[in-house]
Amino acid sequence: MPDETIKQGLAKQGVSRRDFLKLSGLLAAAMGLHAAPVEASGLPVSLNAPASGYQEQAILHAIETKQRLPVIWLEFQDCTGCTEAVSRSVSPSLGNLVLNTLTIEYHETLSAAAGFQVEQAKKDAMEKYAGQYVLVVEGSIPTDNDGAYCVIGGRSAVDILKEAAAGAAAIIAVGNCAAYGGLPKAKPNPTGAKGVWELITDKAVVNISGCPAIPEATTGVIAHFAVFGTLPKLDKLNRPLTFYGKTVHDRCLRRPFYEAGKFALSFDDEGAREGYCLYKLGCKGPTTYNACATIKWDQGLSFPIQSGHPCLGCSEPNFWDGGGFYEGQSAPLDRPTITAVGAAIGAGAALGIGTALVNQSKKKAKKGES
Amino acid sequence: MSSQAVLEFARGPFFYFALLFMLFGLAYRLFSVISLGWSKDRVVPMGSKSKGVVVTFLKAFLIWPFIPWVKNTFNRNPLIYIGGGLFHLSLFVVVILGTPHMLVWKSLIGLGWPTLPLPVVDWMAAVGIIAMVILLINRRIHPVLKLISGPAEFFAWLFVFLPMITGYMMTHHIGGSYEALYARHMITVDVLMIWIPLSRISHFVFYFFSRAIHGQEFGKRGVAV
Repeated sequence: MPDETIKQGLAKQGVSRRDFLKLSGLLAAAMGLHAAPVEASGLPVSLNAPASGYQEQAILHAIETKQRLPVIWLEFQDCTGCTEAVSRSVSPSLGNLVLNTLTIEYHETLSAAAGFQVEQAKKDAMEKYAGQYVLVVEGSIPTDNDGAYCVIGGRSAVDILKEAAAGAAAIIAVGNCAAYGGLPKAKPNPTGAKGVWELITDKAVVNISGCPAIPEATTGVIAHFAVFGTLPKLDKLNRPLTFYGKTVHDRCLRRPFYEAGKFALSFDDEGAREGYCLYKLGCKGPTTYNACATIKWDQGLSFPIQSGHPCLGCSEPNFWDGGGFYEGQSAPLDRPTITAVGAAIGAGAALGIGTALVNQSKKKAKKGES
Repeated sequence: MSSQAVLEFARGPFFYFALLFMLFGLAYRLFSVISLGWSKDRVVPMGSKSKGVVVTFLKAFLIWPFIPWVKNTFNRNPLIYIGGGLFHLSLFVVVILGTPHMLVWKSLIGLGWPTLPLPVVDWMAAVGIIAMVILLINRRIHPVLKLISGPAEFFAWLFVFLPMITGYMMTHHIGGSYEALYARHMITVDVLMIWIPLSRISHFVFYFFSRAIHGQEFGKRGVAV
């Protein structure tokens, strides 16, 4: 229950002091705090004092004194992939312990209750924890036709989001859909889908983009807020710098092959077998900011590029419209059709011939005069 | 506006417009000249016109670049000859044999080809950039070039130089995030494409026509090219 501190909750479950200390270290690592200076992490002053510069101690202090954090998790135009990722993602110790610092009050997929019951539970939670809860959003929000394309319990996604955002202490958009519109926003965007930060402009929205979002990034940010009560430092697209500070290309294990000009040209050629760079197969790593190449997936087992597939750029806005997945990144996005090219050349030629004829007739007329 | 959004614009609608504008403009200029017509040929030809065209092209590409000292152009100003030659070679290597550029061609015409390793292309790009700077300095200090250089010449230099330097910076990740550098490179490329039909940079298309006309003229008159 949120009324007890995180530490009390852990103690109840038989977590020893030793494991508790391990958790603090683990959380610091998950949040990337070990590498960040105190100032950069956005720590409140009250937490800086006991920390004395050591992030683990700050976390320790916070876990001992803070209550568990209520979370309301909304799903709109999504595929539940980000929930799937979070729920089965991380190493069990981290996953269980991070989840122990939260109480998830509402989650369509994870909640046992359904229908009016669960809607009532959400309403109660929003009233009880007004101004305290973390709002996590998964999926984009359709805005065309008064939001008619996504309605839950007779209310549009826009209404539900705005209501929940009003009382939230922090808003986290998980996955590319919630962050930037994702697949539903791909051309021609039939539902008028938008990301959360396009609709909620009076509060900071943390975007944990990706398709799905890297679960450690999601849990890391929630844990950061749970422990420190602040949001981590963000980039221009409101993504936490800890996870989105570098491009996939910068951290890629195939990078040396890019520099050496050694590329796989198809998925089954010698280059592919040798593990060469996938740039020519459409890799979007150079313009994609994400931690795939370092945190990886499935407990650090692998990530798409490692297993031979080019990066799709799933943590960037409009990646579905960012050129063919298997087409070189340098390829233009809008290519004229052969008809458009023909029309341009034809029009130019016609105008050119016309000009020449006019000039000729002028010349003849002049000759006739003289 | 984020760099990603600028990049999407530069790779998307702006590129689309620039490409069509370039094709439109080149077609206009070409046809407005061709359609003026030729004067009547009243002389009995002393040789084959088509042979003259073929020979002039073969010599221009396969012979003169390798024995330039035979030509007056080289002897009178070797700097322009070597600098200009290296610049054009660099442009060819980078734009045709550089991997990312080949992928642009492939996406446009559906045809790809083997490319050179990045270090080779990179060094050639550096050679091209240095050659351009030297040629600009030469243009500024050479007594004759100074007299015949106006804004058009310097704009042409600038609009070619910008894509080259932004491309080089992008390859070496100098001066910002990759997508910001990429966006800058694409914008300068789009501007260049728009500038091409408005300027003498269009010679990369018209050269072949004027060369062919000279060739057939030489052939007709039986001149040793």
